[in-house]
Amino acid sequence: MAAPVVETHALGKTFGQHHALRDVEMRVLPGRAIFVVGANGAGKSTLLRILAGLSAPTAGHALIFGLDSRRLSARYRRRIGMVAHQSYLYPNLTARENLEFYAELYALPDPRETAVRWLERVGLERFADRRVRALSRGMEQRLAAARAMLAEPGLLLLDEPFASLDGEAVRIIMSLMRDAVARGASIVAGMHVVPEIEDLEFEVFDLARATLTRRPPTRDGGDAGRIARLRSLLGR
Amino acid sequence: MTAFAAILRKDLRLELRSGESTVALLAISLLILVVMVFALDASRARGAEAAAGALWVALVFSGMLGATRAFLAERDNHCIRGLLLSPIEPSTLYAAKLAAAFTFMAIAEIGSVILMVLFFNLNFDFTLVRVVPTLALGTLGFAALATLLAAISNRTRMGDLLLPILAVPMFVPALIAGVKASSFALGGAPESAIAQWLKILVAFDVLFVSAGYLLFDYVARED
Repeated sequence: MAAPVVETHALGKTFGQHHALRDVEMRVLPGRAIFVVGANGAGKSTLLRILAGLSAPTAGHALIFGLDSRRLSARYRRRIGMVAHQSYLYPNLTARENLEFYAELYALPDPRETAVRWLERVGLERFADRRVRALSRGMEQRLAAARAMLAEPGLLLLDEPFASLDGEAVRIIMSLMRDAVARGASIVAGMHVVPEIEDLEFEVFDLARATLTRRPPTRDGGDAGRIARLRSLLGR
Repeated sequence: MTAFAAILRKDLRLELRSGESTVALLAISLLILVVMVFALDASRARGAEAAAGALWVALVFSGMLGATRAFLAERDNHCIRGLLLSPIEPSTLYAAKLAAAFTFMAIAEIGSVILMVLFFNLNFDFTLVRVVPTLALGTLGFAALATLLAAISNRTRMGDLLLPILAVPMFVPALIAGVKASSFALGGAPESAIAQWLKILVAFDVLFVSAGYLLFDYVARED
């Protein structure tokens, strides 16, 4: 059995007296997708920041690629891609310059070509020379997805990846997620509701009152499965 | 080295595009020098000592602004998290931010020196070249200290207030050495007199560049 990409043990996080996460147990294998579903303020973003090594847990620990998330070396950090609420993009740089900059940080060959290729993948090639501050929120979100996936990471951490996106953009991000899983990457995504993604197997965890619980798989695949089957019956 | 160059190039590109830091640094240097000329006694305000003092006050205040500005770009859209998540060593990030702050400060100092010569009736001659090593070492030391502290203050709500409160007292040894070395250099004192103060500046630089290099990872990351 392959070693888990993400493994947490009794993971907890408190802010003063407030428990954001309590005794979180999670295990994600390579090529698997996990959706953490919860309301606003449930602790999804906190969990993802801890998994990314950006924030320290106050209890337990998180292992990423078998190593403590706070002690990941550069070699392992390059295998993590993150899309957060904030885009991590420089407003005064153009879309292409932003991707080129990150491609250089990740020491990718030919940063310019890489940037152009990813702009095409997220459908922003026409906006390559537009500054990020002049992009719509949805476009910025697509660009943030391209930034996170530039180096084809082995672990994708996505915080509300479909927020502010129109139908076309949602399809693009779903396609990127499917491609990532197909090449063996794992996904942990925080969401408000379970999305409807065809051709992607995923597990659902509910995060409520700081506690993470695995939602039992439904025989019919839940709402997403029912909608997918209905669509296939209708020939769509 | 690629990551260092990429971050520095990005910071300089952002600055060239907005010009905010350089203009602000030059403006604050001008204001400080004007205030110092009027504040100091008219006869004393023509001396090398007064000029050196005024120049270093301008350096300290413009330096604080420079270091803050070098981090301000990372505050937008939480870009600092993007950098911390990327496969670059925190020390590389520190070195690039230090280089950016040093560059912003150096540009402001060139302007400050020209204004100092004009306001304090000095001459554009070789004595100005003698001040360059002192200013370069002082700038490096202040940029090293302020970059480290800016990384801490960047994480706090009262960060903009915290930086001067922490930076100025810690910079006092280098400030004294810098003012002394600069006034000796401008006053035509022998090199040996300047050298003893330069040694303090070198020690300060080694201390804070090393501290920043080693501690940046701990201060930049969130709890």
